[in-house]
Amino acid sequence: MTMLDEHAASAASADQEPLLRARDVRKTYRLGKVTVPVLHGCSLDVAPGECVAVLGASGSGKSTLLHLLGGLDRPDKDSGPITFEGGDLRRMGGRGLDRYRTDRVGFVFQFYHLLPELDVLHNALLPSMVRLNRLAFLAQRSALRERATATLTRFGLGDRLRHKPRELSGGERQRVAIARALMNGPDVLLADEPTGNLDAKTGASILDALMAYRAEQGQTMVIVTHDSATADRADRIVHLHDGKVVSGAPAF
Amino acid sequence: MFQSLLTRRYLVSKVMPLLAAVAVALCTAMVLIVWSVMGGFLTLLISSGRTLIGDVEISWPVVGIPHYERLMGDLQADPMIEAVSPTIETFGLLGLATGERRTVRVVGIEPASYHAVTGYRDQLWWQPLVEGLEGDTGGRDLRNTHQPEMAFYLEEGSRLLEKDPETDELRPAVVVGTQVSRWNIRDPAGFLVPLNNDFFLPDREVSLTVLPLSQAGVAINVQSRKLPVANEFTTGMYEVDANYVLMPLDVLQPLLNMHAGRRVSQGGSGGGVRVAVDPVTGEESFVVEASGEEPARVTNILVRAVEGVTPAELEARVEEIYFGFAREFEDAPPPSLAANWIYVWRDKPGLSSFIKAVEKEIGLILLLFLIVSLTAVFLVFAIFWSMISEKTRDIGILRAVGASTLGIIGLFLRYGLAIGVVGSVCGLALAIVIVDNINPIHEWLGRALGIVVWDPATYYFTEIPARVVPWQALAVAAGGMCSALLGALIPAIRAATMDPVRALRFE
Repeated sequence: MTMLDEHAASAASADQEPLLRARDVRKTYRLGKVTVPVLHGCSLDVAPGECVAVLGASGSGKSTLLHLLGGLDRPDKDSGPITFEGGDLRRMGGRGLDRYRTDRVGFVFQFYHLLPELDVLHNALLPSMVRLNRLAFLAQRSALRERATATLTRFGLGDRLRHKPRELSGGERQRVAIARALMNGPDVLLADEPTGNLDAKTGASILDALMAYRAEQGQTMVIVTHDSATADRADRIVHLHDGKVVSGAPAF
Repeated sequence: MFQSLLTRRYLVSKVMPLLAAVAVALCTAMVLIVWSVMGGFLTLLISSGRTLIGDVEISWPVVGIPHYERLMGDLQADPMIEAVSPTIETFGLLGLATGERRTVRVVGIEPASYHAVTGYRDQLWWQPLVEGLEGDTGGRDLRNTHQPEMAFYLEEGSRLLEKDPETDELRPAVVVGTQVSRWNIRDPAGFLVPLNNDFFLPDREVSLTVLPLSQAGVAINVQSRKLPVANEFTTGMYEVDANYVLMPLDVLQPLLNMHAGRRVSQGGSGGGVRVAVDPVTGEESFVVEASGEEPARVTNILVRAVEGVTPAELEARVEEIYFGFAREFEDAPPPSLAANWIYVWRDKPGLSSFIKAVEKEIGLILLLFLIVSLTAVFLVFAIFWSMISEKTRDIGILRAVGASTLGIIGLFLRYGLAIGVVGSVCGLALAIVIVDNINPIHEWLGRALGIVVWDPATYYFTEIPARVVPWQALAVAAGGMCSALLGALIPAIRAATMDPVRALRFE
């Protein structure tokens, strides 16, 4: 672990155990016969209730780091651990990671990634439908619909519940994606360039909504971005460069 | 839970799954139609065969079975036997009033007992309809429009007698197959319309020529007789309807020298023909002296079992009875070969090989069509492969919110099954509609496009004998669903094993 990594890791609140911890994480992709190292020894701590921004240029590995933190991808075999509440994600099987993604984390993507066949309400309900079996879902249907409706209303979509994603603006789509990510009450919200596909004004309004929610609910967040203005809204900024976490002024 | 919602939405939002469903529907319909037609063909063949001869037949052609009344009495007395009927089958030449001559199979029957064994009365075409024919909207079916005459024809046909219009005397008559005269044109609705727009056969009289044979098989004298036509019959089996003529047994027997008479032998002991000289006048004359009685003969005895007795059980019992009969009469056909000429209806020479051939053909054709239907599997496979490429990002999203690999497999298998269910149900409905209307459709194809697929002369039956059997329909539908599932399986596994990160980045 480098000095810079140590510094970044220690940035988490000293009196709190980190909710999410990554130590010396490595990730290499294979493109045919070529191996492309994306993360080479990346460390990060995220304390409960903290909002961390991972700032980096395109190709610096920040989305890869987010996917690893969210259990959507697995690190290399020689990688250090990624732990959530002390549990090592590397040791989780496929089912365990599925449950982790369903119950503990919520993803927000740059390109919204809504299901085009479902309306706004059902897109927001999707994580609950994945989490619960049919009987459990039907038993809780009213409560879940109320929760989804309330979350969507909170993000300004109360009158758009029956609209399909194609009928919404970019900002509205991202709000639906946020509501979906929050539907199962995740411990950590992982946002990958949440404003990257929006104009500055819309992007700012999305961030305002996210920060307001965080202020109210104490939601832990990791926001990946290449935009320093976005990063500035976080409690702490971690700079990622060339697959490594650096502290202080960005190296680029 | 998400699988059922997405399956419903995917199903109605794209054209491709509908195309896959159409492919499954067409394959399902195709297999079921072929099975129904071939199965109906076999069923009708079997039922017609049984209608013609009852359950068991004793057949000793040409020479005939002597003392048959005694044998019939023995058979009739058995509790396993419902009815017995004697017949004579021979070849003959039929002359129509139009001048047409053709060879036919002549069958001499006793109408009452023949009906008891074969249900002959029900096969008479010209008889009052219990229910009007649905397709006869123009009132062209004479059976509908001439009810009183039909009752009369039924009576005459079932007794093989006709009232002479001049003398009012009853005289023996024949009943011919509906296709014998070629004067009956089939209406698309299924009934027959005589060409002369009147009742059957012009002038309603035919000449019948038969060739009696000696017991050694030598032709004696050609016998010819004119007989009125009392009615026409239909078995639905073209081969029979176009070639068979029924006439009273007691009329055919003397024509074939098979009636009871005196036995005259040349030379040998007693009897024969000798020259006698009148002792008074001295005139010479031939005197015929009988050496004994020659019993009447028939070539066939048809036997019908009581309900609950199988044809095989009946066959064994009939053989047993025959052995007892043969011990008593030396001139009876040899019992040692009884197995060859006492047989259940399915084993009737000609019919048996045909039934077996049709059964094999059904198996072969079904196999070929099932292979053709495998295209549905590949079509579903290709469509799913393409759809999963299109839905790659959806798969990534679902994995990101926690859907498991099994959940993704379940989603696409459920989707495949939904396509299979929709396709199979539509295919079943299509097949049922086509099978129910196959004859009008065929008639229409023939009229409008000149396409005649079903030639009755080739396929034995005058109508395409299709019927949907419920278990076959269910089996075909299940096959259609399995095809769709099979086609979806590999793409579903591919979808489930897709790297979620790559899936999310897919463009």
